[in-house]
Amino acid sequence: MKVIGCGNAERGDDRAGLLVAERLRQLGFRAEAHFGDSLSLFEKWSAADRVVVVDAVMTGAPPGTVFAWDRELPHVPDGLSVSSHGFDIAKALELAQALEKLPAHLRIYGIEGRQFELGSNLSPEVERAVEAVVQRIAAQPF
Amino acid sequence: MTSGSRTIRVDTLARVEGEGSLYVKLVGERVADVKLKIYEPPRLFEAFLRGRHFSEAADITARICGICPIAYQMSAVHAIERALGIQIDPAVRLLRRLFYCGEWIESHTLHVYMLHAPDFLGYEDVIGMARDHREVVERALRLKKIGNRIVQLLGGREIHPVSAAVGGFSKVPTRNQLRELASDLEWALTASLETVQWTSNLEFPNFEQDYEFVALRHPDEYPFNEGRLASNRGLDIDAAEYEDHFREMHVKHSNALHSVLRGRGSYLVGPMARFNLNFDKLPAAAQQAAAKAGLQPPVKNPFRSIVIRAVELVFACAEALRVIQEYVPPSAARVVAPNRAGVGQAITEAPRGIIYHRYELDENGLILTAKIVPPTSQNQKRIEDDLREFAAQLVAWPLDEATWKCEQAIRNYDPCISCATHFLKLDVERQ
Repeated sequence: MKVIGCGNAERGDDRAGLLVAERLRQLGFRAEAHFGDSLSLFEKWSAADRVVVVDAVMTGAPPGTVFAWDRELPHVPDGLSVSSHGFDIAKALELAQALEKLPAHLRIYGIEGRQFELGSNLSPEVERAVEAVVQRIAAQPF
Repeated sequence: MTSGSRTIRVDTLARVEGEGSLYVKLVGERVADVKLKIYEPPRLFEAFLRGRHFSEAADITARICGICPIAYQMSAVHAIERALGIQIDPAVRLLRRLFYCGEWIESHTLHVYMLHAPDFLGYEDVIGMARDHREVVERALRLKKIGNRIVQLLGGREIHPVSAAVGGFSKVPTRNQLRELASDLEWALTASLETVQWTSNLEFPNFEQDYEFVALRHPDEYPFNEGRLASNRGLDIDAAEYEDHFREMHVKHSNALHSVLRGRGSYLVGPMARFNLNFDKLPAAAQQAAAKAGLQPPVKNPFRSIVIRAVELVFACAEALRVIQEYVPPSAARVVAPNRAGVGQAITEAPRGIIYHRYELDENGLILTAKIVPPTSQNQKRIEDDLREFAAQLVAWPLDEATWKCEQAIRNYDPCISCATHFLKLDVERQ
């Protein structure tokens, strides 16, 4: 299993994915961070990998809500990813699918964020959600 | 089409930048009003930097933009080096050019293929384009990856390189490490030439404006980090004089910040400006590719900037190949940067155009004030002016097509927000 946490460390709740990856790395899992534009995201895996992607989302759900999708493109809801500079996650995954570059096994976790302004802090709800996702992934490796 | 007025109003989706919006009011055949806001000024970063040691500036500013972190780093370190009065090793200078080549390759490839080309070919986004033109998109991804590879090698971490430092780099590569890039870069050069060819066959709207182009100019080279600031209307200044000639004004209607040349108005920075002002400094391969593509300076049709970006890809690959041939590691990765009070300014050429940094330091090396003017903010007024003229061509078009054409026109400038494919949401107002 390979976990990829996406986000922007400077934008409040947008660091959620990065924090999940960091925590899992501390726990000994194969986890890495992915910053900035999502386009090169799918160069981080090969066809055989089991991949978990974690990112902040903005769907209008209560902050801290955790979503999980299993390789169900293109039904990933709009609002997945708040990547501020570049191709967002949903588009990157759609492109990977169009180019037949998705891994055989892919799970996506979305953590609903509340604040994304430059320099803002992590919301308490999101902090709790980060821990919950870490526990979920650690307890049931994909 | 009925008489009366129509409004193209486009507000952003709920996205992080939150600040992209376009409002075009058409009354009969006339464009009555255009209000554009696509830029979020980095005031928070300027505030973050105050009180920090200058050695942190490169890393902090690199976080302003995920696509062009090196541009921010380069302007920061050059400005601070100027404030401290230190000179970098020529080998470091060479490495910084290579670093910038990597960023240009990565950024221009992303924009040309993933963000802009779909507009010209009638696709909603690159995903649609990828289904019909798979090899083209795969070529783009491979080219972008090579840009990232250069940045990674020098920067240590792909999107936010940590290795650039005041006085040099925290570590420098060996000659062999750079030589390992050669075969990738040779492929990239060929791919770039193909990109010029491919983009030159796109269909361009007939639209030209009388721009003031602003870019760096250097006596020997196509500019990255050094040179005087020049324009096609006689501007010729040092970075230290930037604020004497340019000012930012708050525009009431949109809360946007417009950058203008004092006494003159809007101006254009970026690839088209660089190309028009520095054509003679391009390597032969790039000049020939441009000529074959029908590009001859001065190019005044902003839609053709997609081809110019492709020409700059050729330049960046050729330049990278030159650097890795000539590079000999410096005796020290960086020179000593003492704590010293001072003020320094620098202008470097980000993929999107000039970026200006100014720092004031105290005797302990702490930053008292910082000022950052990115390229997208400098183009904002010019983009709005373009739209005002361009929208006149669209008065008879169906509203959704007209909206898409406006988005395409905005993407000529490769502004940061162009990455969001549908950042413009349609809202029709009828009187």
